[in-house]
Parts: sequence; C-alpha cells; structure tokens
Amino acid sequence: MISHAAAAVRSVWTLAVHDVTLWRRSPSTIAAAIVPPLSMALLLYVLTLTIGRQPIALVVESHGRYASRMEGILRAETNMYAVVNTDRPGARRLLDSQQAAAMILIPRDFDHAVDRCPALKPAEAIHDETYRASGCPAAKVEVTLNNIDHDFADDIRRAVAESASQFDAPDVVTPVSEGELDMSELNPYRVNVMTYELRSTTVDYLHYSVIPCLVLLILSVGVMGTALLCARDVERGTARHLALAPVPPMALMAGRLLGGTLVSLVVIVPTLAIATWTGIIAPPAGHWPALGLVFLATAVCAAGLGAALGATLRGTRAVSMAASAICTYLFFLGGGFTTIQFLPTWLRRITTLVPTRYAIDGLRQSLFYPDLHGFGADMRVLLGTAAIAIIAGGATVRRAWSH
Amino acid sequence: MRPTLAAFRGGFRAEVQQLRRSRLLLGLTIVQAVTFLVLVSIFGLTGSYVPTAVVDQDGGQLAHRWVTLMQAAHHTYGLRYMDAQHAQQALRRGDVAAVLTIPPGFSRSIAEHRMIRIPFRVDNVNADLTDDVERGIPSVAVNFARENRLPGIRVAPAEADLVRHEADFVPYLVVSALALDAFVVAGILAATSVAREFEARTVTNLKLSPIHPLVPLAGRLLATGAASTAAIAMTTLVVVAGYQVVPAHPLETAAALLLCVIIFSCIGVGVGALVRRTLPLTALIFGLALPLYIDSGSLEPARFDGNLIWGIAHTSPIYYAVGILQYAVHGLRVTPETVTLDFAALVGWALLAACGAWLGLRRAVVA
Repeated sequence: MISHAAAAVRSVWTLAVHDVTLWRRSPSTIAAAIVPPLSMALLLYVLTLTIGRQPIALVVESHGRYASRMEGILRAETNMYAVVNTDRPGARRLLDSQQAAAMILIPRDFDHAVDRCPALKPAEAIHDETYRASGCPAAKVEVTLNNIDHDFADDIRRAVAESASQFDAPDVVTPVSEGELDMSELNPYRVNVMTYELRSTTVDYLHYSVIPCLVLLILSVGVMGTALLCARDVERGTARHLALAPVPPMALMAGRLLGGTLVSLVVIVPTLAIATWTGIIAPPAGHWPALGLVFLATAVCAAGLGAALGATLRGTRAVSMAASAICTYLFFLGGGFTTIQFLPTWLRRITTLVPTRYAIDGLRQSLFYPDLHGFGADMRVLLGTAAIAIIAGGATVRRAWSH
Repeated sequence: MRPTLAAFRGGFRAEVQQLRRSRLLLGLTIVQAVTFLVLVSIFGLTGSYVPTAVVDQDGGQLAHRWVTLMQAAHHTYGLRYMDAQHAQQALRRGDVAAVLTIPPGFSRSIAEHRMIRIPFRVDNVNADLTDDVERGIPSVAVNFARENRLPGIRVAPAEADLVRHEADFVPYLVVSALALDAFVVAGILAATSVAREFEARTVTNLKLSPIHPLVPLAGRLLATGAASTAAIAMTTLVVVAGYQVVPAHPLETAAALLLCVIIFSCIGVGVGALVRRTLPLTALIFGLALPLYIDSGSLEPARFDGNLIWGIAHTSPIYYAVGILQYAVHGLRVTPETVTLDFAALVGWALLAACGAWLGLRRAVVA
C-alpha cells in the first residue's frame, strides 16, 4: 500500500517536473504569459503619473493682501494643481495650446470686492436681510475650463470649490483628528464636515493599483502554462501515450496540475524576492504566511482553470488568445484595474462571483494593512475555488486524454 | 503582370480560406477588441458616482436641499438614503464607500446661522479616490451657501466652459479605445498571417516561386486587412448601439479607423516577421496596446500630462488617431495640432509603416 502511494507520488512529481522543464524550454510561452502582466503594470504606473494634478494657468491681476492670500491657497494645493503664473494673454495661449487645462483668474477688483462683504466675526450675527441686499459674495475666482470630459473637468471644479471655500473657512472639511480646533464661529458656511476614515492606512494609488499585477502574473503564467501544455499534448498526440501509461490517471492529472502550479511559483518567487529587495513591497511583520497562501491558492486556481481551458479548446493559438482574454477579465473584474468599492452596485454584485476579487482583496489586506480583517473569508472563497478548479480541470483533462 | 495578379489573388484567397477555417481564432480576436471597450468602461465607472449612504436624521427642507446638491456635485456621489445601522453595515461590507450623517437640528442650525457638524465616514481604500470623495464636499458647501445666501462668504468661484457639450467619461474613453482595437485586431491578424509562413516553413516555397515572394503575402495581408476592417466596423457598431455614442462626423471616423487598420496591419507584419512564432503574438500585441493606450491622450489630452509624456505620445500613431476620432465623434479637440495635421501625420505613419513592413518582410523572406 505504502509502496503504491510512494510510486504514485513519484509519478506525480516526475510529470510535474517534466512540465516545468517543457515550459522553461519554450521562451515563446513564457513571453506570452509574462508580457501582459508586465504591460499592465506599466500601464497602471503611467496612469498614476497622469491622473491627479492638472496644469493650471494662474493669472493674478489684483495685488492686494486678499489676492495674495487666495493665490497662496491655490498654490498650496500641490496635489491638485500644477500652477503656472502668467498674464491673461499668456494664459489664453496656454489654454489654446493645451498646456493648461484651465485658467484661474483673480481679477483686478478682487480685494475691493472682498472688502465690500463683511467677514463673519465671533459672536456677531449678520442680519440675513442685510446680506441679501449686499450682493455678496462679490469677489470671484474666475475659472475658464477646457471641459473636454467630465472626469478631469470635475476634478478641477472640485478643487477650485475647495480652494474658494478655504478663503473664508479652512474647516469646511476636517479630519476627525483635527476636530479639536474649534474655528466654528469663523466659518460662514455653517457646516463642518468631520471625516472619519475607516482604515488606519490610506494606501497611495501607485501601490494600490500596481501591486495586484502580481495576481495577474500568477494567473497569466498558470493559466497559459497549463493550458498550453494540455493543448500541446492533444495536438501532438502525446495525450494518448499518457493515457496508456501504466500510471493511475489521478496521478497523471495531479502531476499536470502540480506542474501548472509550480510554473506559477517559479515566476512569482523571484519576482517577490526582487520586489521585497527593492522595497516595492513591504508586508507587515507576520503577514508573509498569509501572502504565501494567497499566491499558492491563486496558482492552484490558475492551474485548474488552465487545464480545463487547454483540454477544451483545440490549437495552441486559440488557447493562448483565450487564456489572455480570460486572465484580463478575471483581473479587472477582480478589482485589479479598478476599485471595487467605488463601482456601481450591479457591477459590484458581478465581482462577488469573480474569484480573483478575493485573491486581490487578500493580497492588499496582507500587504497594506496591519490586521488581516476579512482575510479568512477571502481565503475560504479562494481555496474553495481552487478545489473546484482542480476537480473541473482534472476531469476535463482526463476526458480529453481518454478520447 | 497577369502572373503577379494571380499570385496576389491566390494569397488573398488562401488567407480568406485560412480565416474561415479558424473561426474561433477570429472570434477570439474580436473578443480581445471588445475586451478593451469593457476594460476602459469599467475604469471609467470608477471615480464618479461613488456609492454613498445618506443618513438623514434631520428630515428638514434644508437637509433635503443639502442632499440634492450633493447629488449634483460634479458626478461625485451616487446617493442612497439609509438608516444609521444599515449604513454602517453597508460601509463595513463595502456596499457603500462613504456614509454622510445629517444630524438632527441641521435645518434649524442653518436657519439660525449656527454651526453644525456633519459626520462623514469614508472607506479610505486608496488615496486618490478618498481625495475625490472628500473634495466633493466643499462644492456642496459652496453651492448650499450660495443657494441659502449664508452671510459672511466673500469669495465664490465663477466658471466659464470652453466646450459647450462636455463628454461623459466612458463615451470619451470608448472612442479612444477604438483606435486601440484597430491595433489589437489588425496587428494580431496580420502578424499571425506572416508568422504562420515562417512557422509552417512555407516561406521557403514562396522564395522558390517565379513571382516575387512578397506578392502573395501582400494578398494575404489584404485579406487580413479586410477582416480587420469588418471587425472594427462591428466594434464601432457596439459603441454606437451599446454606448449610444453617435459620431458627429461619420466619414472622418471611418477614414481614421481605416488608416489605423492600414498602419497597424503594417506594424503587425513587422512584428510577425520579427517574432516568427504565432504563439506569443497575441500577448505581445495585447500587452503593447495597454501602455500605448494610456500614453496617447486616451484619458485626457496628452498635453495636460506635461512635455515628456506629450513628446512620447507623438511617437505613436494612436496619438493622432485619438485626436481625429475625438473630433470626429464628439467634436472635441484633444491635440494642440489641427485635425488636418493629425490626418496628415496619420497618412505619413501609414506610408512609413508600409515601407517598414515591406523592408522588414523583404529582409526576412528574400534575404
């Protein structure tokens, strides 16, 4: 009994090692699997560079203290604007040549207009009717916006509104940690929105979006590697030899799936080592086992899916294309290219059926946050999917070999 | 002349037969093209209409106005009313990204010009989107103050827009994606056609034929070009029918897409002759398409991203194609260059790509 088991384990291992060797000797397969995740990482990196700060031409025509203060507020918002100071014709030229997305003008009469409107003073109530008749607020921050699409135009609108509100009230929105400062008497907006952030860490967009490419890498290598090995066996007729081999079919299938999993790990382990060494990833202490589990479970899922795909489709070209499309869908529906929490409800419901969502969630949780909140649930789904993928993949391969 | 034409026709027919035999491959190529549309649409949906719960514990008229203004705040929030308990649960589950609680006495406080604090809980999943959510609030406050003539406010923004019809983000993105679709479909089909000749070693037969070996290959490329044009036409129909994006200038749209098919078929030929294997081509072309998409002014005018990125964008034909397509579909100018200049650049690219493909093939096949 023990010798039978040992022989089966040996067969499984031999086939797995054979598959890894075959994969290693096929540079085109390696390229096909590695190029899309690398490009995706590059894309996301470029994306983080291009979003956020918009070029603004700032024209300050008034030279009083209020204009200087307004200019200071605008210039201080370095997260939102890349400000270029210029005059009106210069700003027009920048707008026309698209070197500026908007022109912000602090007009000549700005200080005079500010002076015309009474500021709120502590313990002084300004009678509403007096104010209504005063024509205040009279001072305008004039924005000329190249509003090509909603996305960046809205970014600028939000930013300008925030800057304008800061002139009269720096505390319209305050983090709850700063809520001890009571400037309420001087806030003419009469509202103070206290923001409580749910998580202890706010991850920067670069890491948040680029790191999940590791999941895409495992997925791409695992699915494509296993699928192409299966497709080649059918294409070259070696599947028949395998079916006739004096080895239990279960051992053969296990070997193929183990091979697919090992192929993913062969790629991900050095990638992780480089990422850790260069400081791209730095998981909190004690999170390495969790991280390892995410990668292992994803690799098993990928191998199972790849086996099913390779045994179902005919031809390596079709397998390669299908694998590439499937991995892309799994990646971006799993939240790799987007932020699931910010998607519309109907789409978020769809993503709950996508196993990569749990892999990406688990990866982010184990890498970015001090606790592993929700990690157990993510892993239950992912491991359950891995088990289903193994059974489905194994059954499909067995059927393909026996035909 | 007649044998040359016969060889050209033969190449064309052979490729048509090949495409008819590999319908799955053709279908998957179109799937890849549609994948791009879906991908950019999902990206476009992120960052606007953030699911936000409102807990209105005041119930007054002013509270209702605050919520209405929040709904109108630059496409920032997708609001839904909830009670406090459900809102907290939804936030923890990730069903909403933020919860704004309008406390009791809100309307009265505002009416009496007294200060009121509004708790706003945000799921700060990442810095960029958290900033967007939090930055929406001052807009609401500014508009609320303006509407209710709250005293003490001295400065207000005044906006003038350069574009009369502002495009929604997703329709903007899908139009740019059409240029990339042309790259994916035409590139993959042309590259596969050429690489197959090397992989199957039929290139030797071509060399020994009495006709110039590139003639039948040109026939094949005409067939892949026709198939690509049909696939892009289908994708454009998806954009028109599915996204309700109707081109303002249909002829310019068609001309730009046709030029894209020509250019990317030629680039595909070059890639196919270089790689000579069919297997990695899809991944390679799909992989190349993603960074090209971003660095071609597809999300916003490339000029806004600074001189370096703008300069790099000029090295890609997609930059000019996006410039023409955005004008032809939405009537928008997204490049500082004129549309005529963009067309001229694209024609130049087509000639350059054709010469490059010819030379690359000649070197690979004849030499």
